[in-house]
Amino acid sequence: MDAVNLEEQVAERQQLFITLYQKVFPAVARYVSKCGGSFDEAKDVFQDALLSYYEKSRSADADIKSSEGAYIYGTARYLWIKRYKEGQQTTQLDDSVAADMAMETTLPLADDKLLNFLETAGKRCMELLRSFYYDQLPMTKVAQLFGFSGVRSATVQKYKCIEKVRESVKQKALTYEDFLE
Amino acid sequence: MRTSLNNIAQTEAYLLKRANSANALLFEAKTLLDQDLQIHVSQQQQVYSLVRQYGRKQVKAEIEAVYQQLFNQPEHLSFKQKIARLFK
Repeated sequence: MDAVNLEEQVAERQQLFITLYQKVFPAVARYVSKCGGSFDEAKDVFQDALLSYYEKSRSADADIKSSEGAYIYGTARYLWIKRYKEGQQTTQLDDSVAADMAMETTLPLADDKLLNFLETAGKRCMELLRSFYYDQLPMTKVAQLFGFSGVRSATVQKYKCIEKVRESVKQKALTYEDFLE
Repeated sequence: MRTSLNNIAQTEAYLLKRANSANALLFEAKTLLDQDLQIHVSQQQQVYSLVRQYGRKQVKAEIEAVYQQLFNQPEHLSFKQKIARLFK
């Protein structure tokens, strides 16, 4: 794994989040405050709206980059009304305008354990898979980031990683069956 | 590529709807006849879900780190004060 390249990716995202925080958070905070909400509520809905924007802006057909402020503000406002004004504290983003995102902010315990395991034991594979499926970087970029000679070898590695993670899923299922018996 | 990896590639094309309709139908027919394949498909679906959860968890942490930076570092004091005034 090319640590320098990956750090650059993190730094790019950090700059994006700083810019959007400075640009959009004041408007969200003003709205929440005007409606009688708290700073923590504004922070909570803004951060989820920012995450939603990040995921939306990754998809190839995304056309929201030109109206990033409006998207984040609108999503945050919607979430605040749902969570705090209507008293539905549990509303996650999947009930929102961004319904297709299927936000999974609370994981079943077994998945959470598996995720923790993969974060340490399978970090390289998870980073590679994340770059392609979550950040939706093109395979040429993924190959470059992870030091592969080309798209083909990176693609083969991607499938090997799926196989490896799938093996962990299988092991988890077996453990769970043992537990039930 | 070895057979098991080719199977993963085919399953991926089906799950991520990248297969053409003829191949998707053929794949569906295969899963109906092969219970092991059904299990593989379901496990591979879980892999994509785990990858999404992994990415999301990290981006959330990155956003929180940016928040800590903007609200705790002296060079961003004016921004912090601007927000604080809204909640007085």
